[in-house]
Amino acid sequence: MRLHLGYVPLCDAAPVIAAHEMGFARAEGLDLELTAEPSWATLRDRLALGYLDAAHILAPLALASALALSGPPSDLIVPLSLSLNGNAITLSNPLWATMAPESERLADVAGAFARMAGARREAGRPLTLGTVHPFSSHTYQLRLFCEAGGLDPAAVRLVAVPPQHSVEALSRGIVDGFCAGAPWNAVAVAAGLGRIAALGCEVAPDAPEKVLAVAPRLEGAIPPLVRAVAHAGRWCADPANRTELAHRLARRPYLNLDPHLIARTFEGTIVLDGPGREREAPDYLRLDAAAQEPRAAHVGWILSQMRAAGQMPAEDLLPAAEAVYRPDLYAAAGLSPA
Amino acid sequence: MSDTSLTVAVIDPSRARAAILEEGLRAAGIGRVVVMADTADLMERVAALAPDVVVIHLESPSRDILEQMSGVARHVERPVAMFVDRSDATMMQAAVDAGISAYVVDGLRPERIKPILDIAILRFNAFSRLQRELSEARGELADRKLIERAKGILMSMKGLSEDEAYKQLRKKAMNEKRKIADIARAIVTAADLLG
Repeated sequence: MRLHLGYVPLCDAAPVIAAHEMGFARAEGLDLELTAEPSWATLRDRLALGYLDAAHILAPLALASALALSGPPSDLIVPLSLSLNGNAITLSNPLWATMAPESERLADVAGAFARMAGARREAGRPLTLGTVHPFSSHTYQLRLFCEAGGLDPAAVRLVAVPPQHSVEALSRGIVDGFCAGAPWNAVAVAAGLGRIAALGCEVAPDAPEKVLAVAPRLEGAIPPLVRAVAHAGRWCADPANRTELAHRLARRPYLNLDPHLIARTFEGTIVLDGPGREREAPDYLRLDAAAQEPRAAHVGWILSQMRAAGQMPAEDLLPAAEAVYRPDLYAAAGLSPA
Repeated sequence: MSDTSLTVAVIDPSRARAAILEEGLRAAGIGRVVVMADTADLMERVAALAPDVVVIHLESPSRDILEQMSGVARHVERPVAMFVDRSDATMMQAAVDAGISAYVVDGLRPERIKPILDIAILRFNAFSRLQRELSEARGELADRKLIERAKGILMSMKGLSEDEAYKQLRKKAMNEKRKIADIARAIVTAADLLG
């Protein structure tokens, strides 16, 4: 059976790409046609309107689409979580130098950022930070980063920066920093423009990141698709496969970037700045089996973040949102326990 | 239609396609049509122009910038929203087929937006039809050149007439259930390697 899957070219699209490249889909009798989508909005619309059968999508955007908060109404469901964590907050080198935090601990970094952002707000020139889409864990992680330093998130301007524009936006001063998924923070650091200030896994440990959203009309094809992508995700999480995975992702038509830069993401060895200071973060991007169950707790976290960000109508959408996540379909796929 | 009070921004990674839409909207009497380049400072430029409608191609990575400018971002003075006409699923489908999405200033009435989308759908479909025809024509021309070269090779190597050379190509193609151009390409490649 032929299925059309959309993804955005990022490291955490690895499970859907590996499902195709490493034969996990074929083993389930599926023939995947993968398309790289140019934006989250277009991926969401193509999925909602039936041009895609399934997609690698931001967990909050999947819920927002199903709840008719973003884009055309959709009936998508989430039978599998693809990843936890994976983002980082990169600040421009000049901003980092001015902040001069006492240590690299999150509390000190966020505190120093909050003081700068507060001063700039007072001066009528608020700092500008880039996210990837309003309905993203990136948006919420930037807000939580502000709050970790005691800053009201409304004190900074939040704009969207398509990841491929992030380096240019930083170099031209269009943004003072951004939160993006791998490998875009590493790209900004390698370009000598930014300093990774905080990792997503420190700001919000084990935050739901990407999910596999599928159209319910696939019916019987859902369990084999879940098995194929879940097995692929577990293959990606195995340290023995990192080199091969990084090389496959690095190629066209996928990420088309330096494989060494991509490999570091999966190793959890994060280069923070130009001089090459490193941080070991084994949970930087989690693709392992324990990250795969679509949990009600994730829905709860996302909805509370949406509410805090002023993205929610007054009515209680939690029951409707919980119905979008389908741990029953994950269980029905018959995967070995995590 | 003539809606001279409206400002429409057009964002499209293809300049040619954007120009075709711009011309269409102007001809329909839209007051102000501005084509914007898809670069990193797009948000500032959109905010400065303050258009009533933004027509953006689905292939543009900048769509997420416009989504962030929607109601959720409090600092934006004129919030925009993605135009989704829930009462008209056919039109939504036609827009996506043509590769279009639209963002509108909150509160703009759907009947003022629909004619703009109709023009965009017509123009973009016409553009992709032209592009398809052009690439077909280019392909045919390239095929014809290949066949000419292959005929020439057969004529000089086997001492055939032009007509006999073509008949041999056609016979081989029929026997192997392939296109004549494919056989011609194989002959040209082989001759290049051996020659």
